[in-house]
Amino acid sequence: MDIVVLVKQVPNTTDVKLDKNTGNLIREGLESIMNPDDRNALEFALQIKAEYGGTITMVSMGPPQAVDVLSEAMGMGADKGLLLSDMAFAGADTWATSYTLGKAIEKIERFDLIICGRQAIDGDTAQIGPQVADFLDIPQITYVTDIETVSNKEVIVKRRLEDGHERVASQLPALLTILGGANNPRYPNIGGLLAACEENAPLAAWNAADIGVMVNDVGLAGSLTHVIKTYVPKFKRQGETLEGTTAEVVRQLIQHLGKSEGASACKAVAATCRLMADTKQEGI
Amino acid sequence: MYRSDAEQLIRKSIARFVDAEIIPNAQEYDNSKEYPKEILKKIADMGVFGIRYPKDRGGCGGNSTLFCIVCEELARGLMGLGATVAMQCLMGTNCLFIYGNEDMHEHYFLPAMKGEKFGCFCMTEPEAGSDMGAVSTRAEKTNDGWTINGMKTWVTSGPIADFYTVMCQTNPAKKIRGLEFFFIPRDTAGVSVSKPFDTLGTVTSKISEVSFTNVRIPDAFCLTRDGQGTGYLFSVLAEIRCMTAALAVGLQRAAMDDAIRYARERQAWGKPIGNYQLIQAKVANMAVNLEASKLMTYNALKMVDRKIECKNEASMAKYFATEAACSAADSCTRIYGAYGYSMEYPAQRHFRDTRFLLNGGGTHEILQTNIAKWVGL
Repeated sequence: MDIVVLVKQVPNTTDVKLDKNTGNLIREGLESIMNPDDRNALEFALQIKAEYGGTITMVSMGPPQAVDVLSEAMGMGADKGLLLSDMAFAGADTWATSYTLGKAIEKIERFDLIICGRQAIDGDTAQIGPQVADFLDIPQITYVTDIETVSNKEVIVKRRLEDGHERVASQLPALLTILGGANNPRYPNIGGLLAACEENAPLAAWNAADIGVMVNDVGLAGSLTHVIKTYVPKFKRQGETLEGTTAEVVRQLIQHLGKSEGASACKAVAATCRLMADTKQEGI
Repeated sequence: MYRSDAEQLIRKSIARFVDAEIIPNAQEYDNSKEYPKEILKKIADMGVFGIRYPKDRGGCGGNSTLFCIVCEELARGLMGLGATVAMQCLMGTNCLFIYGNEDMHEHYFLPAMKGEKFGCFCMTEPEAGSDMGAVSTRAEKTNDGWTINGMKTWVTSGPIADFYTVMCQTNPAKKIRGLEFFFIPRDTAGVSVSKPFDTLGTVTSKISEVSFTNVRIPDAFCLTRDGQGTGYLFSVLAEIRCMTAALAVGLQRAAMDDAIRYARERQAWGKPIGNYQLIQAKVANMAVNLEASKLMTYNALKMVDRKIECKNEASMAKYFATEAACSAADSCTRIYGAYGYSMEYPAQRHFRDTRFLLNGGGTHEILQTNIAKWVGL
């Protein structure tokens, strides 16, 4: 079973801050990490490899320092790493990114399964996996929470729906996108990490010429969408969690509603609740 | 092709483990005083115990700098854990690695790399600490091996160890030059281990006495011979001191992180106490001392890795970083105010754990004496 795992290096925060003037992400002081959902994807790949054998090839598109996520993946047990890095790839939207990844995967001689995280914590689009599958014209199963069985011809997985789960079978090759929290990813092995830092480590870097793409088809130039404006959402109201028994929480809620300024409706609700509480004592 | 920087990669991986697995449970571990078996299994599975040994001998192919980066990060999470791991990675296994035979390698060293067996180092005695010439645990040559008699104390990991590296006197007339190291499995007749000590700090690290009464061992268990023991002792002491300095750096970071977090949260007169200059001064001093400690520690470690003699640099780093850790823990408890006196908050744990650092790797009194001597006094 030869598996390709797509992985992205992302800033270690879900609270992304943008420069007010340029609209760019403020990266200073932010640590870069392996995208959390991708870690779950790799864990499934490692479990499949442990049971059925084969190889795991990690593919990432990013700047030179993105090699760190490939090294980390190899510390976890991946066999090879491939970094797609070229100034021409910069500024790519999901279309151009998927095209670049797809062209690179086409060049990889053989794969049975492509596994990736559902979405990256910096972009939150969840589009890369489905678009890569579409480019390669292979089946895709998204929102996977468990991989039940894998054979030479098919994979059976469990995927999350809004109101439950469904079991889906697909012929191979196929692409799966994995939900965060689907498994418990292992920590890297120190020996594996050190081996990934050696000169003879099985890591390769491909640029635009290596994967046979025109620079106008990738990166910002090849993107179908363009960012007009970015801004930091303003949170005018902040939520608060009330804790305690139902009765205690309702009492706290009544107090809060009663304090609401300029909200006569809330005050009315509060007064009604208070009356009910007085009447029924604990049985609110 | 691009390659990752090994030191940054290892630090980041261990830090992620410490943040996720140790720090959220550190207070619980400390309160329970239990030996953290499960977390040590995870650390073993990551290959940490083999970090400073070559790949062809069952290690990871790292070096002393990488080993101390791991020690620093673990100590940032829980000092007791850092102490146990340091013992296993260095003092508990190093002499066996250098001088042990193939049988010892297969049955003890390799299992130790996987965390299946634990080793420890027996050096201090009730009447011999800094004055190593006073060591009285006696190794006497017999026709078919050696007989060991004596008692060791302050043996870190003594209660959990499967084998001991024991410093013994082979010729009292030679004093320190007569010291040699012996390999003694715990299940050898005549070995007895006391109950774990009730200690002020590093309570998850188990420390005990280990006594040897007419312990008969084969000649092959004599690891160092003809004065090698003293040379080995001095060479490993430099690395032990660097390791202790790295643990101290980890503690400083923990104390500073907790102090900053609290200073941002705690309000007084309508604003966080971190807005007041006297709190800022304490944090600034912690930061400056931390930076200096790091520089001294990792400078000495680069010398260890290059096999450059660095007894002075290692002693200075251990002395400075540990004093800075004591100061950082003290400042942390002061910034916490009355809560620094409460067992519910981490400040008190940092404060207690510094006492372990003051003695391990040499007391500061003996280090100061040596440093003064080495600079020409």
